[in-house]
Amino acid sequence: MELDLTETQELLRDTLRGFLEAEVPFSQVRECEIEKKTDTRLWAQLAEQGYLGLPFPSEMAGGDGGLVEAGLLVEEVSRRAALVPIVEVMAASLTLKRKCSGATQLLESVLSGSAIVVPAVLEANDSFESFALEADAEGVLRGEKFFVDYAEAASHHLVVARDAKGPALYLVDSAAPAVKCEPIETMGRTPQSRVRYDGAAGTRAGGADAVDYLIQIARALTCAQILACMDSSLEQTVAYTNVREQFGRPLATFQAVQHHGANMGMHCESSRFLTYEALDCLERGDATEEQVAIAKASLSRAIPDVVMTGHQLHGGQGYIEENDLYFFTIRGKDRALAWGTAEECLEIVARSAEEKSRWL
Amino acid sequence: MEFRWEPEYLAFRDEIEVFIHEWRTPELLKEQREREGAGGGPILTRYYEALQEKGWMRMCWPPELGGQGLNPTYRFIMVETMEYWQMPYGNLTYTSVAPALAVHGNEEQKKRFLPGIWNGDFTFAIGYSEPNAGTDLAALRTRAEKVEGGWIVQGQKIWTSLAEQSTHIWLAVRTDTEGPKHAGISLMIVETKTEGITIRPLPTLSGFVTYETFYDNVFIPDENLIGPLNGGWNIIMHALNHERVGLSPTGNLARNYDLLVDHLKNKAPEKLADPVVRNRLAEMRMELQRHRALAIRNAVTIAKDDVSPGQASMAKISGSELRYRMTNMAMDLLGRTGSLTAEAGELAASEGRQQGNWRSSPILRFGGGTNEVQRSIIAARHLGMSR
Repeated sequence: MELDLTETQELLRDTLRGFLEAEVPFSQVRECEIEKKTDTRLWAQLAEQGYLGLPFPSEMAGGDGGLVEAGLLVEEVSRRAALVPIVEVMAASLTLKRKCSGATQLLESVLSGSAIVVPAVLEANDSFESFALEADAEGVLRGEKFFVDYAEAASHHLVVARDAKGPALYLVDSAAPAVKCEPIETMGRTPQSRVRYDGAAGTRAGGADAVDYLIQIARALTCAQILACMDSSLEQTVAYTNVREQFGRPLATFQAVQHHGANMGMHCESSRFLTYEALDCLERGDATEEQVAIAKASLSRAIPDVVMTGHQLHGGQGYIEENDLYFFTIRGKDRALAWGTAEECLEIVARSAEEKSRWL
Repeated sequence: MEFRWEPEYLAFRDEIEVFIHEWRTPELLKEQREREGAGGGPILTRYYEALQEKGWMRMCWPPELGGQGLNPTYRFIMVETMEYWQMPYGNLTYTSVAPALAVHGNEEQKKRFLPGIWNGDFTFAIGYSEPNAGTDLAALRTRAEKVEGGWIVQGQKIWTSLAEQSTHIWLAVRTDTEGPKHAGISLMIVETKTEGITIRPLPTLSGFVTYETFYDNVFIPDENLIGPLNGGWNIIMHALNHERVGLSPTGNLARNYDLLVDHLKNKAPEKLADPVVRNRLAEMRMELQRHRALAIRNAVTIAKDDVSPGQASMAKISGSELRYRMTNMAMDLLGRTGSLTAEAGELAASEGRQQGNWRSSPILRFGGGTNEVQRSIIAARHLGMSR
């Protein structure tokens, strides 16, 4: 059991953090939110610096890392609340690389920043298991997807469609006229769309196991996003309560405040373990669906407790949007709903109820 | 980062499980229940001898104290495995008194007490808490006055658990009333049968009987003072670092879950098929993994010889609070069967274990440093909140 980052991973995290703190002021994030747009400048920088290639092999000009490195990248980007499709592109491109064939050229373009591929999974029924959108024998797609993150910024959609063999992944050029994106407004203020595929030409990229892989890694990487929100909310809360004085002393010296802080800290600590355990086990190929679902359920349950306690301890200060706290509140809860809510994930866990529990 | 146990630890767990299955007879479990962890019955004595022979009780102690100096992870694996199978692996005599004696006792004291501890002849009760000195232990008032050749002790202790079944009491007394209160405490060993000691049983919520002990002109000879005079506080605070692993085990909680599911499978399959029940079980599985995360996080930190009081506190809080939440949920799922005690015989679920663990959960939460104190430790030392 090695729970600490390797020296290389630590260096990566620190470099990323320094780079992102310098390049992504929160004012820039606010602008993107108001204009409802993806931070394309940051995306180009991430590609240029080679960060998008972190979990890819060196022959693709990648960093030879795995899902843990991808998790670190997602975590650091999410600590800045940046509006870029980091989870979406990592999940889609790693699925293409590892479970599909024939997408080599597209992947090169993705890593260099000239193409963006995002998954399109959910439909009106909000299910990860049954899909109405159909692909015919020629690969032509008809149907509708909901909550497609960064659909408009993407050059390609990796669409889950039902074909003769069951659920499958199809790559679709999103600039085609048969693809119609309609932006939707959500609490998380990230770019999302409802997308209609009216006879859009798709290329079959993978079958049911690829669909499953996509969902698993997107779910685990989303945990890293939620974790970043939790940690940021806690850090900001500790800093604030240490300086904010009431009744002549810092808030942090009140026991009631300390105990709220401790509860937030415990959520962060267990969440970090569960997130990176899921990512590490997925990378090695020995993660169970239950394990990933437990991580996502646990973080999705914890995030509202953490961010709402953060607000409670900030009082009026944290309620004002000039304060950065809200980023993590709205993004955290939005991501708790993405890629399987706590309830959906617990349903998956319930299927294993008879299995002996894991205690070591 | 690598989230998997190295093969040597898994092999060690397997070795322990083989040993457990050899010893885990209904007779041993019965004796264990009846003696409430005091040891000393005929089967348990043989069991402890076998444990000693394996070398598992002291394997992580430094070699100069008679151990093998193994990585504390081995102890973590042992505690978790024993806890899962509800097998005894030592009580406070082994985990608290013996290490303190080995570190702070003089050569003569070590010779006099340690062999008896290892062969089971000596068992100790701990005499720290007093009616007015609980969480604020340094406020203890049981007084030892110097006399020719020793000390005369006057006072009262509470939570002197196992006093009735023990040969000795490991006693904290006030030897100085001037200066800071923690700097006037000394540690002494007194034989339980010494004249002037009265033991009064105090039945507790869990069914476990603890004791109150009264000291009326009790003589303790000079050679039973452990460590320096007025140096008791350090001894009380001292614990071998490796003993801090597995303080809040997942094994015991996991066992509760597995027994609950076994019971539902055999006696109430229609409940187990109910999606609402299954959702509650899923929640327990999730909570277990949350706690397991904190327990392993703490153990791994200790194995690296790092000190992180915050992580130890997190594991302690999470394990103790999850115990009542999980057993509570289990009893709710069992319905009125959940309230049956072991005495109900075949009707009871898992020998009434859920309700028993539910009743014993308060002591884990307030004992060993209350969870409120632990939360303040996390805030100050892990998060950096101002005191």
